[in-house]
Amino acid sequence: MAHVRTENGNLVVEIEGLDKLWSLKSSLTIPLVNVRGATADPGMVKEPKGLRAPGTHLPGVITAGTFHQDGERVFWDVRDGARAVVIELADERYARLVIEVADPAATVALIEGAITR
Amino acid sequence: MVIVGRPRGFDEETVTAAAAALFATRAYDGVGVDDLVQHLGVHRNSLYKTFGSKRGLYLAALHWHVSHVLQPLIDQLRSGRDPEQFFDHVTRKGNLDLLLLAAVERAPADTEVAAVVAQALQLLEQAIDDVPMLPSGRTGKIALSELLGERVRVRALSAG
Repeated sequence: MAHVRTENGNLVVEIEGLDKLWSLKSSLTIPLVNVRGATADPGMVKEPKGLRAPGTHLPGVITAGTFHQDGERVFWDVRDGARAVVIELADERYARLVIEVADPAATVALIEGAITR
Repeated sequence: MVIVGRPRGFDEETVTAAAAALFATRAYDGVGVDDLVQHLGVHRNSLYKTFGSKRGLYLAALHWHVSHVLQPLIDQLRSGRDPEQFFDHVTRKGNLDLLLLAAVERAPADTEVAAVVAQALQLLEQAIDDVPMLPSGRTGKIALSELLGERVRVRALSAG
């Protein structure tokens, strides 16, 4: 599970609890100008994820850490795919983040509201 | 470091047009990314890479709708085609359903959608104002409201 907030023109994604261990990250800070959009996407978890390095992938339990696919890096922290949000980035280490949040609709509204100019 | 992804392998405009057709028939929240992937025949990651988000795709679809559906209708009206035909396209064929749904559903919640809708309604109103001999003989604003209201009525009754 991750917690998302905006702060000083940045999107801050904090990884909570034990997921910090599995994903080997405690937080990510992304300038909002590099955030292209956010989408609640329960189906994302069924997609092929590519190669994991580093991180944890126990299919059906948790997908966490950095995955490489089609020349892109994707950060995952998802246990319950029903609450997955996909955050698309530009000019960042990661092409996109796939994170589980408590309230996908509210998280999407927060991010889309923050990047609408 | 430059990261080169797989080529998109799809025509962005075709996909945008197909998305416009889908969003014209269903509520925004009723269209999931699974539906988009299935209907548009595009890989999920390509959708994200190209449009950024579902909302990004929706905005692209709405802009496409205005320039490729609404604008030609207005051009026909202005070029002296039978205004009845214009009314038929809107009320019976539902050519403006995406605009209508956007106005009702998304515009109150999304300032960017609201701006596109406001501009589109303004274009329509102005065109109706400029073309004489419309069936009701009313001015743009009232005639447009009548037109959109009539479409809502026809759409509601067509389910039976």
